Amino acid sequence: MKRLAGALAIVWALANLVVAYLFLTNAFVAKTAIKEGPLAQAALLLGGLLVAVFAVLVAREGLALVRGTSRADA
Amino acid sequence: MTVARWLVVLCGIGIAVAGALVIAGQAGSGAQPWDSELSDNFIFVKAIPFVLGLGVAVGLLRGRGAPPLRRPDGTVRRFTTGTVLGHWLITIGFVLALPTGMWQYLGGILDVRAPIDLFLFYRVHYIGGAIVLFSVAMFVTSWWLSGDRSLLPPRGAWRTHLVGAAQELPRAVGARVARLLRLDLGERVPPPQRFSYYETGLSFPTWAIALTLITVTGVIKAMRYVVPVPGPILYWSSTLHVAAMVLIVIKVLDHLRYTLPRWPMMVAIVKGWVSEAGIRRVLTPSVPPSALGERPVAGAEAPGAPTRASAITGSDR
Repeated sequence: MKRLAGALAIVWALANLVVAYLFLTNAFVAKTAIKEGPLAQAALLLGGLLVAVFAVLVAREGLALVRGTSRADA
Repeated sequence: MTVARWLVVLCGIGIAVAGALVIAGQAGSGAQPWDSELSDNFIFVKAIPFVLGLGVAVGLLRGRGAPPLRRPDGTVRRFTTGTVLGHWLITIGFVLALPTGMWQYLGGILDVRAPIDLFLFYRVHYIGGAIVLFSVAMFVTSWWLSGDRSLLPPRGAWRTHLVGAAQELPRAVGARVARLLRLDLGERVPPPQRFSYYETGLSFPTWAIALTLITVTGVIKAMRYVVPVPGPILYWSSTLHVAAMVLIVIKVLDHLRYTLPRWPMMVAIVKGWVSEAGIRRVLTPSVPPSALGERPVAGAEAPGAPTRASAITGSDR
């Protein structure tokens, strides 16, 4: 069960990393600046960074569960 | 449960069923001139009062919960079946509402169209949103009725819980949080009660803020189809709705990051029952031994508050 939970966590984290990537890349394109303005760009940048950091942390915990090296296995 | 409360619950359920039948009848009559997307908008906004009312009725039905129980095999009941089901229900709501909401937002930013009709994204988003609204109404009613405040720091104990929460964070992050909130990381805190300091001091309060924000802004956005909403209010509601959505995306990730390595917490929210030793082991090391004072810090518990039996019993909602 721990491995299944770990695998699902990795899938969720990867999906969130895609979202983070889209946030970050679109924070810097001219279209966003013209359509949404600098405030939206800043929000995309901050949101993308935070989502990416937390997604990496979840992926790490998921990987540890799959490998059986998590604190949960201690 | 009193007869009066049963009557209120039955009335609530009856009104919700009648409302659903009328809304479905109107939508399916073929007399409405709207397209699929606008029709869904109307169905959703008309359903909101009934969804909230049903949530309140079910919250009343749950009543005061059940007393904490301990089995001979060393397991304790941490959550009732109602809490476990409610947690899964709101999880399903998020799984439906978050990706569809994210697509609506990113689709606009990226200026792309999915191969699936947009109204289907909205439809699934509304179903997820309705589930979240129902769950929020149900949990708030249930907690209000039971008087259970174990997920929040008691009055006068916020500082202690924030110090405990900051001590649980990685050192560099905890130090920044402590500096920002002017906390003394060296302060000794008593062992956490039913929930860890991270849960009571940081996690649940931010959940409450995010859920309140997304609920209020979502309802305002939906209301524009039946009542005139001034442009600036609609603009800020839309902006804050997106901000709350991103905050919830981060909160879900943080929740997983925190609970996955604390496996007994995962077991407890699936089964309701968990090994007492396991949950105690998870809760107690959440605060470094150096920070665990022998005597409770003043204000850690509200004056006159009932003494909890242990870290894992007590609140059961």
